[in-house]
This record gives sequence, structure tokens and C-alpha cells, in this order.
Amino acid sequence: MASITRASVSMPSLSTSVNQSQRRISGLNSVSFPVSGRSMIPSLRLQRGLQVCCAAKQETVDKVVAIVKKQLALPADAAVTGESKFAALGADSLDTVEIVMGLEEEFDITVEEESAQSITTVQEAADMIEKLVEK
Amino acid sequence: HRRLPAVIPTPPVSASPFPNPKSQYCCLSRNFSAALTPLLPVQLPSRMETHLWYVVPDEVKSAPLLSKYMELLPQSERDHVLGFRGDQLQKSALLARTLVRTTIARYQVDGHLDPRSLRFKRNIHGKPEVEWETKDGFCPPPLQFNISHTSSLVACGVTMNSLIGIDVEEKRRRTKNNILAFAKRYFTAHEVEHLNAIPDSELQQQEFIKLWTLKEAYVKALGKGFSSSPFNTFTIRVNTAAQESFCLPLNQASSGIAVETLDSPQNLTNNWQFALLELMGSHYVAICLERQETGGAGKAFPIKLTARKTIPSVEDELVSGTNAVVTIGGSVTQF
Repeated sequence: MASITRASVSMPSLSTSVNQSQRRISGLNSVSFPVSGRSMIPSLRLQRGLQVCCAAKQETVDKVVAIVKKQLALPADAAVTGESKFAALGADSLDTVEIVMGLEEEFDITVEEESAQSITTVQEAADMIEKLVEK
Repeated sequence: HRRLPAVIPTPPVSASPFPNPKSQYCCLSRNFSAALTPLLPVQLPSRMETHLWYVVPDEVKSAPLLSKYMELLPQSERDHVLGFRGDQLQKSALLARTLVRTTIARYQVDGHLDPRSLRFKRNIHGKPEVEWETKDGFCPPPLQFNISHTSSLVACGVTMNSLIGIDVEEKRRRTKNNILAFAKRYFTAHEVEHLNAIPDSELQQQEFIKLWTLKEAYVKALGKGFSSSPFNTFTIRVNTAAQESFCLPLNQASSGIAVETLDSPQNLTNNWQFALLELMGSHYVAICLERQETGGAGKAFPIKLTARKTIPSVEDELVSGTNAVVTIGGSVTQF
């Protein structure tokens, strides 16, 4: 299954709201976001103290999106973002468990039932993965 | 009414199950007129009865009908329906809310009940319940219900008193993951053995789906959320009259299905009884009920089931006892 390239996901993000763009800053190889006020994206003003460092890496989000699209048999160009809810995309409970299983395999983590139940969006999955990967 | 419900077909931007909107207006057959027929009232199930109602989304094609259904919902539920991506998901979400509202309304609790006027709440664990109006002298009935839906079937089970969980799934549902790998991760060792013992991969897939729906139905009946009963903490066992064995496939109508929880492995948990049905040859329906009374020697009475297929406010069809509803597990008498 082809993974989603950064370019195809993140180019449209430049024109979206600040909130969404924080999560989809594209083209960066490093994971640190400049907080000194010198923004990589001229149209945004990143304010000092904004916790963009706690949002999951774009790469993680992309992988989650790929796994979700595969599980739900969505077309490659289906609009799936961090905010997308699994249920709204058509995931039932079996799909959700399969998605979690796919994430466990992809990231070499184990997700407890309690955590699995609390994941409802792509972003939540990505954030959880990063917490577990850190351990 | 601020905006048209998106479930009314509009010219497609992407592939739509309703490619030609205008054709939907005339393709409904039977008894449909602009005014919906009143809901057929039904007696509440007795203490020993279970009512099963279901809708086949593919049979509900009329856009005006779907928008009438939308009108039955409060704004919050409409928003929820419209939050689903695409016509088909929105339609089954709409039909699920419509089915539960119209079904409960049929029982005409406290005289007359308009499906619109029903309110729902969730218990502390998140299980949906009816929130009855508290009026003087009105004692709310101990009506229990549970819904399940896939894109091809929407079902609602109703009892009086007995906690109920139901789960429906297409027989042909395939997992993306390997079944045994999935079962090893999420099911119990006994269940993995049961699946592993089935040589035919098609049959194994079907057994997996049967187990899945039974396990879902149990957790939904408990009503405490999935994290309180992870699937690997309880085993679904099949008994025959002759001997306890979970190596037999779930195909014998006289077989008993029971649940055994890890924290009391020696004692089968007698509080719950199960039924497994094959619906229309295409779906499995698992029902889990709180046991109300037992017969002699600890045996349970069979589940008394009445099953009806419906298109709410259009037509109802009693299907229990027909080959639309075949018992494939558990002890069930169909009325």
C-alpha cells in the first residue's frame, strides 16, 4: 500500500487555519519547531510558549492515516486528517481493533484496552503512539 | 430545517450510491404515500420475551422517506448523523436512530408516545438508555434495548427487565489481519484453540465472526464499556446437551452457548444466556440476555424470540419462524 507523501498531504495545509497548520507543517526533516518567532511558514505567527512540540510528528500521523485508509478500504485520495474520527469514516468496533492492531505492528508497541478505547481520532492515535514509543 | 439533510441525494461530487437523485422519488413500492402510516402499536414484551426489530438499508431508497426520518430526530442526533462520511454511512446512522425511536414508540408506554419526544441518556458507563419523563404517578417501565448496525443491517433488541446486548455482522466479513494472529492478540487461549481446530479457512472466518458477535453482545449487555471487559478476559463456550465441548462448531441449534470469565474459571457464569441467529442467510445476529429465571437443574428456559423486519411507518413483517431467521446457537423458541 503506497504511503502518503508529505507533499500530497501537507501542501493544502498552508491555506488552512492556524490550528490545523500547526499539526501539518511540511517539508521539515527535523522535528523541532522554531519557537523563537522565526517561522518556517511566513504566513503563520508561532507564538512563544505554544506547545507545538507535543503534537505528534507528521510522519506518525501519515502512517496512522495510511493504516486507517487500508483498514477501511478508503481511496488513496480520501480526505483523512488528524481530526478525522474513526467512527465517522465508517469504522466499527472490529475495524477499530484491527486499526489498533495495525498500529501495534507498525510501531512495535502494545496498546492496553483502556487506551485503545479512548482513541477516537487519527490525532489521538498518533499522540498515543508517540507516548508509547518514548517509553 | 435550517439546511437540507445531506442524506437527500445531491448531484454527486464523488461516487455516490445515489447516482440519479430523481429516480429515487418513484421507486418505492407498496403502501407509501406522502403521509407516513402511523406506527403499528405493539405490546411490550413479557418478562420472558425478546423482541428483535431490523431494517435493511438497501430496501429504504426513498429520499422523502429518509428526510421524514430525519425530522424525527432532535438536532443533536441529526448533526451526529450528518457527521458520518458519505451517503451510505449517514443512511445507516439515520436508520439506527430511526429504528430505536420508532421501535420504543410502538410500545406506547404511558399511552401515546411520539418517536420525536423520546429522550435518551447514557448510564455512567456510556450505555444508552431511555430517559423517561418523570410525571406524577408514572412508573417508567423496565424496558431494555440495544442497537447494532452495519452498512447492510440495522437491528434493535428489546426486553422487559433483562439486560440485553446485540451485535450484527455480515457473514462474509473478512478481517484484514490474519484470524489466528488477531485471535491470539485479543481472544482467549480456548477460543484460539477452537478457531485453530477448523481446517477450512472459509469456515474458520465464519466461526471467527460468530465468536466476535457473541463477545460483543456480551460486553454490550454488561453495559460497562469495552475496557471493563477486555475480550481476552472471558471465553465464549459452546456446550451440547451430551458433553461440554468447545471444539464443536457453532452450528447446532440445540447447543448451549455460555460465557466463562477468567476470574471464576471453574464456574460458568450462569447469569447470561446467548442466542446466535443467521438472518436472511447473510448476517449473524448475536443476542446476550441477563438470565431472569432458570428451569429445573439450573437449565435456562429457551429465549422466546419475536423477530420483525420493518421499514418504520411503511411496513412491518413478522419473520420469526420463517427461514429469514435461523437459530444456529443457543436455545431459542421463535414466535
